[in-house]
Amino acid sequence: MATPITIGAAAGEYMEAVLVTEWRARPGDRVRAGDVVAVVETAKAATEVEAPCDGVLGRIAAGEGGEVAIDTPLGFILAEGEDEGEAETAGEPEYAAASDPAPETRQATPMPAPARQPGGRVVASPVARRLARAAGLDLSHLAGSGPRGRIKRRDVEAALAAAPGVDAALPVVLLHGFAADAAIWSALAAELGRDRALLRPELPGHGKAPPPPGAGFNGLVAPMLEWLDAQQAARLHLVGHSLGGAVALALAGQRPGRIASLTLIAPAGLGPGIDGEALAGICRATHPESLLPWLRRLVADPGLIGDDYARAAMAGRGAALRAAQTALAGRLFPDGTQGFDLRPVLAGVDVPLRLIWGREDAILPWRQALAAPGHAGLHLLPGTGHMPHVEAPQLVARILREVLAAAQSGGGDRA
Amino acid sequence: MAMMRYAEALNLALREEMARDDSVFVFGEDVAAYGGVFKVTQGLAEAFGDRVRDTPISEQTLTAMAVTAAMAGSRPVLEIMYADFLPLSLDALINQASVYHYIWNGQVSMPFVLRTQGGGGVGTGAQHAKSLDAMVAHVPGLKVVAPVTPADARALLKAAIRDPHPVIFLEHKLLYNLRGEVPEEDDAPGEIGRARLVREGGDVSIFATSRMVLEAEKAADDLAGDGIAAEVIDLRSLRPLDLGAITASVAKTNHAVVVNEGWRFCGYTAELAATIMDRAFDDLDAPVERVATRDMPIPYAETLEREVIPDAAAIAAAARRALA
Amino acid sequence: MTANSPSEQELLEMHRRMVLTRCLEETLGEMHKAGRTRGPIHRCDGQEAVGVGATAALAAEDFVTTTHRGHAVYLGRGLDPRRVVAEIFGRETGYCAGRGGHMLLGDVETGMLGGNAIVGASIPAATGMALSMQLQGAARVALAVFGDGAAQTGICHESMNIAALWRLPVVFLLEHNAYGLTVHHSAQSSVPELSARAAGYGMPGETIDGNDVVAVFQAVAQAVQRARRGDGPSLIEARTYRLEGFSTSDMGGYQPEDEIAKWRARDPIMLSRARLAEALGAARVAACEAAARAEMDAAFETALADPMPGFTPHAPSAPYSEPPDGGGR
Repeated sequence: MATPITIGAAAGEYMEAVLVTEWRARPGDRVRAGDVVAVVETAKAATEVEAPCDGVLGRIAAGEGGEVAIDTPLGFILAEGEDEGEAETAGEPEYAAASDPAPETRQATPMPAPARQPGGRVVASPVARRLARAAGLDLSHLAGSGPRGRIKRRDVEAALAAAPGVDAALPVVLLHGFAADAAIWSALAAELGRDRALLRPELPGHGKAPPPPGAGFNGLVAPMLEWLDAQQAARLHLVGHSLGGAVALALAGQRPGRIASLTLIAPAGLGPGIDGEALAGICRATHPESLLPWLRRLVADPGLIGDDYARAAMAGRGAALRAAQTALAGRLFPDGTQGFDLRPVLAGVDVPLRLIWGREDAILPWRQALAAPGHAGLHLLPGTGHMPHVEAPQLVARILREVLAAAQSGGGDRA
Repeated sequence: MAMMRYAEALNLALREEMARDDSVFVFGEDVAAYGGVFKVTQGLAEAFGDRVRDTPISEQTLTAMAVTAAMAGSRPVLEIMYADFLPLSLDALINQASVYHYIWNGQVSMPFVLRTQGGGGVGTGAQHAKSLDAMVAHVPGLKVVAPVTPADARALLKAAIRDPHPVIFLEHKLLYNLRGEVPEEDDAPGEIGRARLVREGGDVSIFATSRMVLEAEKAADDLAGDGIAAEVIDLRSLRPLDLGAITASVAKTNHAVVVNEGWRFCGYTAELAATIMDRAFDDLDAPVERVATRDMPIPYAETLEREVIPDAAAIAAAARRALA
Repeated sequence: MTANSPSEQELLEMHRRMVLTRCLEETLGEMHKAGRTRGPIHRCDGQEAVGVGATAALAAEDFVTTTHRGHAVYLGRGLDPRRVVAEIFGRETGYCAGRGGHMLLGDVETGMLGGNAIVGASIPAATGMALSMQLQGAARVALAVFGDGAAQTGICHESMNIAALWRLPVVFLLEHNAYGLTVHHSAQSSVPELSARAAGYGMPGETIDGNDVVAVFQAVAQAVQRARRGDGPSLIEARTYRLEGFSTSDMGGYQPEDEIAKWRARDPIMLSRARLAEALGAARVAACEAAARAEMDAAFETALADPMPGFTPHAPSAPYSEPPDGGGR
């Protein structure tokens, strides 16, 4: 049976609570009755608190800096060989119910194990959890500075700041594929949450962006390079899909110092093969009915793309946009073949690099991923077509978080 | 701009609305000849005659009459002298005023205002010092506003009078002498449902109502001494609540203190705390701190009353706990 | 005819509305037994002369408020039986689109504002409308119908005092049916004749036969005229009897058989029928009754086929809803 360590007569007559200023023993220390185990501040005077009996210091209920009501135990002394768990179940209820906190004073009632004790539940504020999740930070290794060891926002921020050369707030750039626009990222963005700045520029000739100024693949890259150079952030995480993947790769090749990580989702530019029929079909379509079958070819499960999806997509594809994209497709993919080759660029990428590809991609065959260098990671998604970020946003978000976290802990020294 | 007292600003709003709209009338205990025990209706009887009426001490019936007079085409403004008497009005508010628009499928609306004042601090004792905001804010179909500044007192009373639905207008006995700028030339009604940003700060949000806003401002001064930047928001409209203002501020500061002079248990602060959890949980870096009146009758003796009703020190302490 | 004597045509119309009401109550009773009604139904069998006679004495622009037992007032005021039945059965086509129900029906068009299920609440309700009329300078009168139970509430006293004090154009019609739920009036009131209280407020008060529709009409008509003149309120205590229990959930047993029998023998429809048959001939009265029954049967038939309401967008719900971003996440 655990024996509680209480303040007892050490408190003054009018005191309701005291401040714990110091613990002189640590959990696991052997103590004898009368040993000073802690120091508390009462009425502006430091008072020593003695162990009430022999034994081993068990759980500390009120840590240093914590305020504790005078009738609440500071901690517990266990008999030799007594299990901490026993002490929790045996000792807790009678004290947990002992006092009804007055409204204005929060009391340190016995709590489950502090945040960092192995096996215990991590106690962290909601915003601390949210930020840690976004940054891929494991809270179980973090010490909390809040009441009762609660991990607060400042603790997470301090931990992130302490990581070498890492800025937790580096934005993530998402580059969409051919004939898509920024809206294609909405499912993934929802999965990633709002803690990480997401930048979703549109490729020339797509969405609201004007057509590319120059011909060929470089005509597409040049405006994006200008855009990248205009970004404030020192470095950015780049994510690109399909044609946007090729653009991302090209940007990484030209501005290696600005790129914190590169994630390519079914990227173009890694081989000649491409489903030219689907590209032509999408460019040609002027009705939802004619667009639908081609959109369905993009995904493994055609049920994912309904009539209303096609209607919405068609509504965004005015004549000018269709003309620009048809011209672009003719230059980039003449005769149903990829007219540009970025495999040499891929080989030279030195930042954390991942490729994500659907095994059932009918537009670009996943085997093109095998061009990647040895340090790259390859994720082959089963039951997934050409649109992993649409078909499996949760999984893609998970992979991305890992990439971001890896870039944080290991990739920093590359900068 | 003119400097005027809170009570004068209310009086101005009543005069303006009565002059603008013949259907507005004022009734209640001591409101005509005497001008109201807090002098809010002073001079109105001389100006508007029979449209300002002293009544018998019959709160339950007066409130019920306000409901149906409003239904029949008038815009009554009923003064209930103390918020502590609101329980007498509750049948008319809860079973009558709040239901007809709905149960009669929109055939009627009830544009009446029930003005009352609550709060303690001056030794009025357990039956004349309560803040029963939560009791009325609990009822769907009632709007509840509680202005703090003279400018808001005028603008929101005008808005309340023009509102097609019942509005409970909560004043505070310690606010009547508060002086402030009132833009006389601008007689537009205020907007019910919008909070007021009293001061900006990035460290902790203090959401307060009625006189507690003044205490929150003092608390913010105190906190500033420690380098803590408190954001103070006067909710003004207890129902409907300005959810956007609340979530935006919590998203910024991650810490929330909610303050209301009503009791704590099932009190208005409980609703605010729950609202913040519902809508801003992931933005919180600490539990929402509630500052409310202790759950007991308001004592008479000054030493006791001071302890029971929250003040700037309690608010500042709550903010520090949130930031611990 | 004298100012307050109904014409033969008016008498026949009052009779027709009493019969309509009785048909409504009897059909509701049958449907309750068949398990087809929802919630308790408060029938007014035997009390029809009060609601019908009183509303017949009002002008079109006047107001009336009534109790949870208000069917005679609804139909007396000329409401469409089909929409009344539809409301009782919670249909979209009811007077309140199924939001009110049988106790809480209201209709702005006819000033029937309305049924009220808080005992006594119809009294300050009419008084408030009368105050509004006085302030607006309108010669419109508000009639409060309430029971002997309601006469024991504080708001009854407060309302009568204020109405008499301010000479408000309101008529207090106390529909005395002898029971407050199960408790006899002798166990509720310190005086046997509630009209005696009028003197305490300085207004006229009289007790009349509530089963005689002509007596009700005349008394109310006189009080309405007084109110319209600006002479203030009156209290009319109309003695009647509740034949069918408090509501369809009433287990009964507290009304003595001989008491019920005595009042059944004075059924207001029977009395009215006899009087009319003498004046107009039995055949004409029988034809009028048959038409009323047919009208009510048709009302049930169509109303029961009407659609139920749903939570489709509903403007009157808007003031009750939190902002659109409402709800947790």
